[in-house]
Amino acid sequence: MLARMRCPLLLVVCALAVNACTPVRAWERGQLARTEMAWDADGLESALNDHIFFSKEASSGGNSAAGGGCGCN
Amino acid sequence: MRSRSLLALSTTALALPGIAGADAPPLQNTLSYKISNYKEDDLSRSEVLFGDLDRYDIDVHQFRLITPVGRNYALQVDANYESLSGASPWFTTQGFDGKPVVNLSGASGIRDRRSEISVGGSYYLENGRIGGNIGYSEEDDYRASYVGINGERHFNNDLTTLAIGLSYSDDAIFPTDAPLFNRVVSADKSSSSVFVSVSQIIDSVSTMQSALSITEQSGFLNDPYKLRDIRPGDKTQIAWSNSYRHFFLNADAALHLNYRYYHDDFGVSSHTFDMAWHQNLGDIFRLVPTVRYYSQSAADFFTNQDNFLAPLRTYQSSDYRLSAFGAVSGGLGLIADRGDWTATLTAERYLANEQYSAYEVEQPSTALVQYNRVSLGIEYSF
Amino acid sequence: MNLSLKRFAFTAMGSTCEMQIYAESRIHAKTVIRDMASEVHRLEKKYSRFRHDSFVTDINLAAGKPMGIRLDSETKSLFQHALSCYEQSAGLFDITAGVLNRIWDFRQARVPSQELIDQARSHVGLHKLKWRQGRLLMPAGMEIDFGGIVKEYAADTAARLGRKLGVRHGLVNLGGDFAVIGPQPGPAPWTVGIINPQAPDSLMATIELLDGGLASSGDYERCFIHEGKRYSHILNPKTGWPCAGLRAVSIAANLCTVAGSMATIAMLQDEAAGIEGLRESGLPHVYMTNAELIGGAGIQV
Repeated sequence: MLARMRCPLLLVVCALAVNACTPVRAWERGQLARTEMAWDADGLESALNDHIFFSKEASSGGNSAAGGGCGCN
Repeated sequence: MRSRSLLALSTTALALPGIAGADAPPLQNTLSYKISNYKEDDLSRSEVLFGDLDRYDIDVHQFRLITPVGRNYALQVDANYESLSGASPWFTTQGFDGKPVVNLSGASGIRDRRSEISVGGSYYLENGRIGGNIGYSEEDDYRASYVGINGERHFNNDLTTLAIGLSYSDDAIFPTDAPLFNRVVSADKSSSSVFVSVSQIIDSVSTMQSALSITEQSGFLNDPYKLRDIRPGDKTQIAWSNSYRHFFLNADAALHLNYRYYHDDFGVSSHTFDMAWHQNLGDIFRLVPTVRYYSQSAADFFTNQDNFLAPLRTYQSSDYRLSAFGAVSGGLGLIADRGDWTATLTAERYLANEQYSAYEVEQPSTALVQYNRVSLGIEYSF
Repeated sequence: MNLSLKRFAFTAMGSTCEMQIYAESRIHAKTVIRDMASEVHRLEKKYSRFRHDSFVTDINLAAGKPMGIRLDSETKSLFQHALSCYEQSAGLFDITAGVLNRIWDFRQARVPSQELIDQARSHVGLHKLKWRQGRLLMPAGMEIDFGGIVKEYAADTAARLGRKLGVRHGLVNLGGDFAVIGPQPGPAPWTVGIINPQAPDSLMATIELLDGGLASSGDYERCFIHEGKRYSHILNPKTGWPCAGLRAVSIAANLCTVAGSMATIAMLQDEAAGIEGLRESGLPHVYMTNAELIGGAGIQV
């Protein structure tokens, strides 16, 4: 069941990538500037999550460069 | 139908620095603190042959100060402190019934502390930002020093942002009680990392970002506390992340979707999918339920039973983090935002299980973790 | 939650200004308003042509200099917007038109000689400015005046700063140019009354704002009648003569800067073209014609 989830996930991401780009004027960007729309809505929260997942899972990296290493991994 | 002149006037008006939504230096000092407790579920006695049943119990303290310097600069200081107690898997053998059994190290368990400090600066340009940071972390048996540079530039009327970054970390490992257990006395490891990301405003309520990062590690990549843990001395990791944000005006809520594909040359591949719903409740409160699904394949040399007879050069590891498994986690956060004060309370439950795996599991690990995390954060702007 | 309205009046850019914000803490509200007002004062200091220490004065003093003057990014963006106004109005909205004001004396209602007008017109025209490596080269005798843009821009800037400092309900009023930070708590719209140019004690309309800005343009005070025809104080840079189009225009847009530019262009055009441009924009607006007829859309009359 879960094994079949992989393809739909990738399809969703690709569909989003194709959909991009209608000009958005400045006065229409108010919602995008909201804190809850930020890539990183809570800096400490995401730093903590990255740190915990880094110590529990083999994967790391993504949308920033790696920081320092840790004895936890 | 909007007129053409309105469009043209708006385009130039939006480019004015006081109006443009592009990155701007912070205007206020922001001081944040978060305390978290993270506790793994105990293993059951049938899974542990000897040693403690308790797994890690960690308290984490995070401090962050962001302060504007002049009109175009910002300084960020981060300090983290972790205190950890408990035990971690030491070696894995066959139990009385033939199933693999974990042996937890240390009769009195492990006690460790981790302190980290990093300082970063940013310079804000007309249409972008450049920054750098340095950091240092220290544990009883591990030290890391790292530097990084990063930058971003806005294009296309600030609709598109390109960001790049480079970082380098130099780490030293010096296991405790090395002579007693015949562990390596000291070893080095270094990692270099590069990332590039593109963010795009799709329409007035949605944005997306795609990022690629490549990390190259070399040196001592084994687990020094395991009796038999031999891994290659080089590792290349690639991660491709995609994020999407959508604001729902009617619901007054924001949807966050993230997907990451990861692969490294130890043979591990993974999919991570997570989503969060930021629901505003009036002007002050925000409720944030989150769910995350993660699954990875096993490293080529993963074994769930250490083979003490294999030649010493044969790669092998029984580290559960190199096994094939899946993990499901969910959490709930409540944020109270009173302008200059913000408080955040978060609780999270994480369950790793080989049965959740999207990849084929040839050898299940018995040491997969389940944990609870509770955090309380406060932020003050002045 | 206990939000109370905090108001603060001050003078800037030659007009009476007011900030209104809803906040829980009076002390916090005070510091936020102070920061917002200081942003308005910063822009006034930088762009007022009446101040000898302003950057605009430096620009005007550099007219005719072979090396010109280097512009910062904010000023460059303002020039970009001014250029856009110039293009969209087919040359009517021109920030170099200020030299014409010197030859027209509205108080004495005297019409200058055509020779004088033609001479002044030779120093007008935004297209005559040259740009070289981030420097502005302006021919001698010309001058620029951001007066028709900066007040609106300052309102938007102050509102954006307030939003950034945590304000969720607020209003910036710089002498009739409004920028709004969200609706009033409730939520309820901010109601702005538009004064009737004929009877300054009464309103010709009200416009409700939930977000964005509102700007007005009109010849409320300065105008004159010449040979039976009413002339406004707004000069047409192409003819060198005052305009005789609409008497007053108020328009709401998502930015005060956009509203202000649209209103100014509508006033500069001849009446029919001005009304058509307003209608085409689809934005809430109200206007008064030369015949004192009131029209508009999306407003309460």
